[in-house]
Amino acid sequence: MPAKPLTIGSLHFVKKGDASAFLQAMLHRYDVSDKVSAADEQVLRDTLALHPDAEAKVGCGITHFSVRSADFGTKCFWINRPDGTTEKFSYKACITG
Amino acid sequence: MSLIDLQTWLLGEGIRDELDELTRRTVVTEIDNMVPPDDVAPIAEIEWSRLLLAGSVLARSDYRPHQEAALRIATGAVTLSTSESIKDAGTVLLGKLSNFRAINLAGKRDLLTADLDGRLGMSLRIEAQRRQMDQAILVESSGRWLQVNDFQQRFWKDAADHRWLSASAPTASGKTFLVLQWLIDRMRSGEARVAVYLAPTRALVSEIEGSLVVLLGKESAVQVSSLPLRDKYDAALAGGARLIFVFTQERLHLLANILGEAIAIDLLIVDEAHKIGDSQRGVILQDAIERAGRANPDLKLVFISPATQNPEELLADAPEGVEVAAIDSDAPTVLQNVIVAEQVPRKPKLWNLSVRQHDAALPLGVLQLASSPAGLQKRLAFIAAAAGERGGTLVYANRAADSEQIADLISQLLAPAHPPDPELLELADLARKGVHPQFKLAPLVERGVAFHYGNMPSLIRLEVERLFRSGKIRFLVCTSTLIEGVNLSCRTIVLRGPRKGIGHPMEPHDFWNLAGRAGRWGDEFQGNIICIDPQDTNAWPVGVPARSRYPIKRESDAVIELGDGLADYLDRRATATLPELEDSGHFEQVGSYLLANYLRLGSISQAALAKRHDPATVAKLDERLAAIASQIDIGPEIAGRHPGVSALGLQRLLDAFRAYEGDIENLLPAAVDSQDSYDRFVTIMRRINEHLFPAFMPDGLIPLHALIVVQWLKGFSLAAMIRKNIDYHRSRGRAFRLPVLIRHTMELVEQIARFRAPKYFSAYMDILNMHLRAIGRADLIEHDLDIGIQLEFGVSSRTLLSLMELGVSRMSAVVLYEKIARDDLSKEDCQAWVAEREAQLEGMDIPTIILREIREKLLPENGEQAATSKE
Repeated sequence: MPAKPLTIGSLHFVKKGDASAFLQAMLHRYDVSDKVSAADEQVLRDTLALHPDAEAKVGCGITHFSVRSADFGTKCFWINRPDGTTEKFSYKACITG
Repeated sequence: MSLIDLQTWLLGEGIRDELDELTRRTVVTEIDNMVPPDDVAPIAEIEWSRLLLAGSVLARSDYRPHQEAALRIATGAVTLSTSESIKDAGTVLLGKLSNFRAINLAGKRDLLTADLDGRLGMSLRIEAQRRQMDQAILVESSGRWLQVNDFQQRFWKDAADHRWLSASAPTASGKTFLVLQWLIDRMRSGEARVAVYLAPTRALVSEIEGSLVVLLGKESAVQVSSLPLRDKYDAALAGGARLIFVFTQERLHLLANILGEAIAIDLLIVDEAHKIGDSQRGVILQDAIERAGRANPDLKLVFISPATQNPEELLADAPEGVEVAAIDSDAPTVLQNVIVAEQVPRKPKLWNLSVRQHDAALPLGVLQLASSPAGLQKRLAFIAAAAGERGGTLVYANRAADSEQIADLISQLLAPAHPPDPELLELADLARKGVHPQFKLAPLVERGVAFHYGNMPSLIRLEVERLFRSGKIRFLVCTSTLIEGVNLSCRTIVLRGPRKGIGHPMEPHDFWNLAGRAGRWGDEFQGNIICIDPQDTNAWPVGVPARSRYPIKRESDAVIELGDGLADYLDRRATATLPELEDSGHFEQVGSYLLANYLRLGSISQAALAKRHDPATVAKLDERLAAIASQIDIGPEIAGRHPGVSALGLQRLLDAFRAYEGDIENLLPAAVDSQDSYDRFVTIMRRINEHLFPAFMPDGLIPLHALIVVQWLKGFSLAAMIRKNIDYHRSRGRAFRLPVLIRHTMELVEQIARFRAPKYFSAYMDILNMHLRAIGRADLIEHDLDIGIQLEFGVSSRTLLSLMELGVSRMSAVVLYEKIARDDLSKEDCQAWVAEREAQLEGMDIPTIILREIREKLLPENGEQAATSKE
């Protein structure tokens, strides 16, 4: 099966695996509890737009993204909303669509 | 023949056989379930007049064996003889030994006929009265006379006219009682505004604080607190109620950090001062004492230690011109019988007991056990249950897990009381609700048996101690917490192969510090130390240790004397990666202390310790320290705030902050109620491991450690933390054993949340705040309660802290806080909240002991007084 290219905002990836590796590297640059930088935030907004439940995940809006712990000692990106609620999301779900 | 020759002859020859016989007879009365040997002569054969004459000669000696013999004769005469005149003579001999508590005890037990003075001849009466006057001290603030023994009298006199004092006396010589009396006298007479009583453990802090509260009664001119907060301190300095802080050394540093170097302490009492030699915390104690001395050159300083060889060592660093005095006593106050238990060949339920006297063992008889003791735990349990059946029996266990099992075995041999004692039921209720419904302590205390170890919540531990003292708990199985300085004495102590910590055989002085608890002075005439299997070299590698006293040696001196080890470590500290240093705790502590001294003084040759070491060694250390100091620009002040944390580590952490490229706010912790609080603690622990010191290892346990810290700060009860830990295991399908999980959770609270986390998080925050100021982001600095204090006490809300400031234990405060909606109540608000709901308290399903504490501390008219606080 030929590799499927993927576009996230202004970023173009030849195959989904490259996008996944890119986002994974971004995730691992952060410690748990860190706020995601402004540059990375835009990429994450574009990534989240590809999520099958994007609308529900965004909810009332996004103030910023952060990296926090997930199950079984792993970490993942979290959405922080203006009403103080937070929700985690999987970048893999965004890529697979 | 000189007096000393006569005394030596008497003991070695003159009365040797009679004394042996008397020893056997006095000891046999102490042991239950024993069949005496057949060859015991009737009591009438003891030649009392000869023995009493010898006793009065021996009483004039300072040599311990002579004094012990005189005490044995006096005790025998009072307790064994049926003749009034012999009992009277025994009482006079006790008077000569200044053992007035034993005389009072004989009176309480109706062993003496009233009006002894009337029966004494004129000259004896005058002598007795003169002695009573000589052996009394005047408590200036109350005008009351206090009857004391020789040690206590010397202490009182020397404390008045010396600035630095070091007093050493065996356990049960009335040290603590006297020192507390003296402390209160100083406070009442206005000679000190702020005093600090340092005790090495939180357990002893609670106990001393409780004793002071009782001694002070409802008096409000002197306050007691174990919280390192500035309100009461400021009030005392401003002329308000004078203040006694009761602290561990770490808490004194916390207070000094809050107050700055100007902390004004007038009087510092250091209890269990030999612990200045303890690995890792000894140097923190030394640093605390020196810090208080630097802040107030006129500081009055009193060291107290159990039987030590060299109490004067603690005075070596007194400033020039300061009057110092060492008081050393080795006098016995109560008879201590060392009894060995060996199995009768082929008969596991029968054990030969004999008492050690000079180098011989005098057979006492055969102890009969209720059941065959298969295994070492059963041996310890069954011998204790048989020999100490009448109660007051302490059993030493090497580990907390053993203490639970041995207590369980003992309880199975005892018939349950009908009806059960209400106080024991209340303690059982507290154990079930405060720890876990299946906590083993609960069913055991209902039968009058308990266990006791360091990580238990203080409210439960104190109640166990109280009920053991009162006799309702008859058997108490304990671990080394008791050697760490809980003032708990017993009638009989039973041991087999005692270890301190994991696997290390107990040193003779530790053994004697523990064994010395046998004999409740004023409550019993004798104490018994039963050593099982004395010939077994696995249990007793050097046999049952001979009586021995602590050598005092500062941890810093001991580590420096190890040779090049410390210098090499300092080299490695500067170059190695932190994980390589994980097991170097003792070098890190002393190295940090020396580095802080170097930064302050410019050379450790200027420090007090230099005079105790070879100049070449000092020069070599100076050279290494200079190399490290050249990498450090944080300054001596901040290095001095974190004893035991290396200034080099602090510098590396600062360097890491400076190099950090992410959002600066990522470096901050979050309030515990914030969603990201847990994650932030995880990352902070990792940063501490990477830059400061590998304090939270292994890395894989950081999530667990962070979780415990968050729960602790959120004010979770221990019971809730245990429940959550169980849920965690269940949800992941992990097997667990409940008693182990309960003990482990308690250990995590004490060792991580209350010891490591405050130490390193405080340092982290200090350095972070320094960095934030330097980069112009002081707006990010929170001025809430210091993180170290929040962790030490397990609180993050104003209400919880107010409750604890009022003297309520954390366990009770947390239970009450569950019912209080607001998180910002002041002390007065909390009192008002309880007062308004007094009638409803009973219906709130709060354990009785907690309810009692709440009433005592929050409704002043119900309790002793409210002017206290405790952990």
